Amino acid sequence: VSRPEFSERRPTDALEREEGRLARWLVAPALAFILIGSLVPIAATAWEALHGLDLRLPWLGRPFVGLANFVEAAGDPRFTSALLHTVAFAGVTVPLELAIGLALALVMHAARRGRALVRLAALLPWAIPTVVAALVWRFMFDARAGILTPPLRTLGVVGESFDWFVHPLAAWVPIGAADIWKTSPFVAILLLAGLQAIDPALHEAAQMDGAGAVRRFVTITLPLLGPALVVAAAFRMLDALRLFDVAYVLTGGGPGTATEPLSLYAFIALMQRLRFGYGSALSVTVFLLTFVFALIWVRALGRSIVGDRR
Amino acid sequence: VRLTFSGSALGPEAAVVQRQLTRFAERHPGVDVELRVTPDAADQRHQLYVQWLNARAPDPDVLQLDVIWTAEFAGAGWILPVDAAVLDVDDFMPAAVTASRWRGTQYAVPWFVDLGLLYWRTDLVPAPPQSLSELREAARRLREAESARFGLVWQGARYEGLVTVFLEHLVAFGGGILDARGRVIVDEPAAIRALTFMRDAIAPDGFVPSSVLTWQEEQTRFAFQNGDAAFMRNWPYAWALLQDRVRSQVAGRVGVAPFPAGDGGRPAAALGGAELAVNAWSAHPELAWALVGFLTEPEQMLERARLAAQLPARRSLYGTSALAEALPIPIEQVRRLLDAAVPRPVTPVYNELSELLQVRLHRALSGQQTPPAALREAALEIRALLARSGLASDEPTP
Repeated sequence: VSRPEFSERRPTDALEREEGRLARWLVAPALAFILIGSLVPIAATAWEALHGLDLRLPWLGRPFVGLANFVEAAGDPRFTSALLHTVAFAGVTVPLELAIGLALALVMHAARRGRALVRLAALLPWAIPTVVAALVWRFMFDARAGILTPPLRTLGVVGESFDWFVHPLAAWVPIGAADIWKTSPFVAILLLAGLQAIDPALHEAAQMDGAGAVRRFVTITLPLLGPALVVAAAFRMLDALRLFDVAYVLTGGGPGTATEPLSLYAFIALMQRLRFGYGSALSVTVFLLTFVFALIWVRALGRSIVGDRR
Repeated sequence: VRLTFSGSALGPEAAVVQRQLTRFAERHPGVDVELRVTPDAADQRHQLYVQWLNARAPDPDVLQLDVIWTAEFAGAGWILPVDAAVLDVDDFMPAAVTASRWRGTQYAVPWFVDLGLLYWRTDLVPAPPQSLSELREAARRLREAESARFGLVWQGARYEGLVTVFLEHLVAFGGGILDARGRVIVDEPAAIRALTFMRDAIAPDGFVPSSVLTWQEEQTRFAFQNGDAAFMRNWPYAWALLQDRVRSQVAGRVGVAPFPAGDGGRPAAALGGAELAVNAWSAHPELAWALVGFLTEPEQMLERARLAAQLPARRSLYGTSALAEALPIPIEQVRRLLDAAVPRPVTPVYNELSELLQVRLHRALSGQQTPPAALREAALEIRALLARSGLASDEPTP
């Protein structure tokens, strides 16, 4: 870009230019931070994914292998099932989290007495470190010492030898439960903010016209809560697609690899097998998965909401 | 001159090793020995070592290796071969020596060993089972008579411990994971019989609880210690804890025996433990070897046995009264285990091999796959791994 002479411009223009320059300087640290903090590592990981590097086998060197790691992943049934697990997990838990979070938000919004207490109680799970929460859930689902399995066994719902963590499908229940319990409060905060932004006059007017609570919820609250719901869903989806800690602590991906999400498989390939090339390729797929989702979500829903508002 | 030693310093180990390093320094004026503490978890220590050695760091000079790492580090050229003139390994347990060799060369000196064994209740059965079918019958009978809630417990979570339990069943049926030439034999009939025995023990036989598939050493010890299990497969560390009259309900009623043989095999004790090796980029290799030699002397091993209850890797010590006095576990019961020791596969890619196997074993044991199918796929994956790593069986192996 060529720089026109300063003196040729009108004073106001010069002032704008000055401010523009200042703005660029003010934004620079943030840009540098994003560049160093996220773009460079992502690029480095993507570059590593195009190489074959196994720390245990230094005699094989670090050859450039192109997309070979991605081709290997495509033909790796453990990768395909991990991908499936991740998407299915996000698809099941996020709607539940939104529903429970919405219910929590409505309660918090409606509470007249003890507001602080209600909010504190609702937000508590979110404040507990995930690993600690997961350990507690692990204990609750324990086949012998837990609070859940022995009563179910007495009632005859489950067999004598039933163990949540040994059954390939049942093992998802503690993971899902822990995740929903832990993150619904987060959804609730976002939605509570949305609820508080709705003008109470709308509700009063509708009430005058004889609209019942359900009708008002469907025609006023839900549509106006739309933007907050879309944002909450996006946050939760992005988190759920990167599922790692809850599964790592609760099942370690087992039994077999029945509950292994993509991030956990990438972790195993990188940190346990020390296959940096393949592990990086798996990490890149996790990134792509969330990135593509975010792109589609923002395009499809973000714009429609912005449009509605106008 | 400063030497660094890096290894496990868990509980009593820290005091023993510090004491011995100080004694070595006293004998070598002008030499300083520093103990570099590493994480307790073996996986994390391994990761750290790999990072250091990959970066060609000259320290630590002497490394304590888990028996399953030596081939990996030797293959990568990260540790020096043992000079036979300096250190003679003739006196060491053969299984431990095998585990510390790679392609015919000795790369580490065995330090202490760990052996898988069968704990049994002297108040429930008159003698330890002599065969796997005897073990199955006794475990089933005791469970049906409600003498114990579980017949037998072992480590079945998806981790390294599962491979050692499988290895003991495998050898009991005459099978193996890799043969002497490095070929994959984990899909052969003996292996299928072994895994089928383990699967049947959980269901339909039911004398092993399905929850073992989430259990590591400590959970099995708690079950046995509370009197819930008639038999337990575990390591020697549990002995002293089980004899603690305050915490254990089975104190004084416990015996140990080798894990028994099945049809066509022999009793087996999976070999664990540690070896000492010297960093290939050490600035003082001769001094480092002197330290390895010192730490593996009989006196130091006896002191370790006394203070940390770890079994020495030297065979000759098992005939001495000094070791009998030093060890909490009765030595005549340990002696029978020495011949049963079996190393895990010696290969640079052991960690990944084990991980592939763990997944397949766990799938079969949790009923997601039949034992033959699980082992067939495990064998395919392991063959592909060896081929990809340039370690296929046509190459010379020890």
